[in-house]
Amino acid sequence: MQISNEAPAKNTAEDRNPIGRPDFISVKDFNFFYGKKQALHEINMDIPERQVTALIGPSGCGKSTLLRNFNRMNELIDGVHHTGDIRILGKSIFDKGVEVISLRRSIGMVFQKSNPFPKSIYENVVFALRISGISKKSDLDECVERSLRGAALWNEVKDRLHESALGLSGGQMQRLCIARAIANRPKVLLMDEPCSALDPIATVKVEELIRELKQQFTIVIVTHNMQQATRCSDNTAFFYLGKLVEYADTQKIFSNPSEKQTEDYITGRFG
Amino acid sequence: MESARHILTSFEDALDNLRKDVLMMSSLASRSLENARKGLFERDEDWCNTVIADDEEIDALEIQIDSEGMEIMLRFHPFASDLRNVIAAMKTSVNLERASDQSVGIARRARKLIALPFMPATARIEPIFNLASSVFNDAMKSYADNDIELSRTIKLRDKELDELNRDFADNLTELMPQNPEHIRAFLELIFVARCLERIGDQAKNIAEDVIYAVSVKDIRHSNSAR
Repeated sequence: MQISNEAPAKNTAEDRNPIGRPDFISVKDFNFFYGKKQALHEINMDIPERQVTALIGPSGCGKSTLLRNFNRMNELIDGVHHTGDIRILGKSIFDKGVEVISLRRSIGMVFQKSNPFPKSIYENVVFALRISGISKKSDLDECVERSLRGAALWNEVKDRLHESALGLSGGQMQRLCIARAIANRPKVLLMDEPCSALDPIATVKVEELIRELKQQFTIVIVTHNMQQATRCSDNTAFFYLGKLVEYADTQKIFSNPSEKQTEDYITGRFG
Repeated sequence: MESARHILTSFEDALDNLRKDVLMMSSLASRSLENARKGLFERDEDWCNTVIADDEEIDALEIQIDSEGMEIMLRFHPFASDLRNVIAAMKTSVNLERASDQSVGIARRARKLIALPFMPATARIEPIFNLASSVFNDAMKSYADNDIELSRTIKLRDKELDELNRDFADNLTELMPQNPEHIRAFLELIFVARCLERIGDQAKNIAEDVIYAVSVKDIRHSNSAR
């Protein structure tokens, strides 16, 4: 089988976003191991700036593992190691000079299950800023409004900012987590199945938000929902057994994939 | 590319049924064309009436195929080749229904011709009938077998059919002044040839949809078949 590890057609990406850098995140010869078990094999891909890139594939294919490598979250697991490199804006995230906390500050992450802190809506949003030592009220207020507006939640919660975040609906909680993730103005937003626990209306709102957010952030989303990948993403990467099988423009992947494995997966013929 | 079966058997069954219904519709449309031929050349009104009566079944199949295609899209959200196949099936059924309408048109003209005195010039339309029938059946064969090489031959053959139709109309028009008693029959035959030419167009449309479904190449409105 021919593995196409090439970035999506450059002209297409540049047409959509002529000022964006096509290799904003660059994965080079990347292998990742949980102990002796190799989870990712020779991954090479460039993720374009301010576009949405979807990672799809069956469970265990390595897509979430790759996502969690972008902010080095996998390092929290014992016995993991990697070879190869991941660069953001040309700089390796594994360089000795890179401070992990600072890296994670520049890469927001939203998880499958919304996980607001048992604090007020306001305190959830400014949590990272307070940790960074920012305490000036006007700065925090500005951040709360900007982040909640960015997460399309401001109008729904502006009158109850100091109420518990745990009183929000599931969809609102997930958008609050997105607000929290973008509060620090990260460069990249990682989303690991952000809508899998949401009802259809909340899903639509988050998907709409993803399309808005890509004006400012480079977004990488893991999803099992292929309709969602077609609706939200500009580029799609299909992973299978830890390998990047095909990576191309989303429309190409879902209308005319080059690889038989991709076709079999998206048409439901795997098994 | 040869594909495995879908994991979801209800999806696999729905796609199979859709395809079977299109093939059934094509068999009926092909039979109608042949019945129209018999009605015309054997001067047998029963065959003509059969064509007209059978059209109802073909119309019903078009509606059924549309409904099945919609249901597949609604329930299974097909992607890639599956999506193209569903769309091709729905578009093919429209073309089959229109081809069948042309057979009905031929049958109606044939009935009028039967009511008129026999005219030897009727035999002149046989090559057009043969070519239209062959083009139509090959378009459906290419659909049934996903044979895009066969599909690619259709466009040129349809052009040939267009030329035959034009020549036929010119020849009959030339014959009219010398045979004023047959003018009405000549006109009916010109209309029959026009129906056959339209069947060629439907066949070409079907062939183009097969090429798109199989190879993702959209050759509509292009000069090349490739």
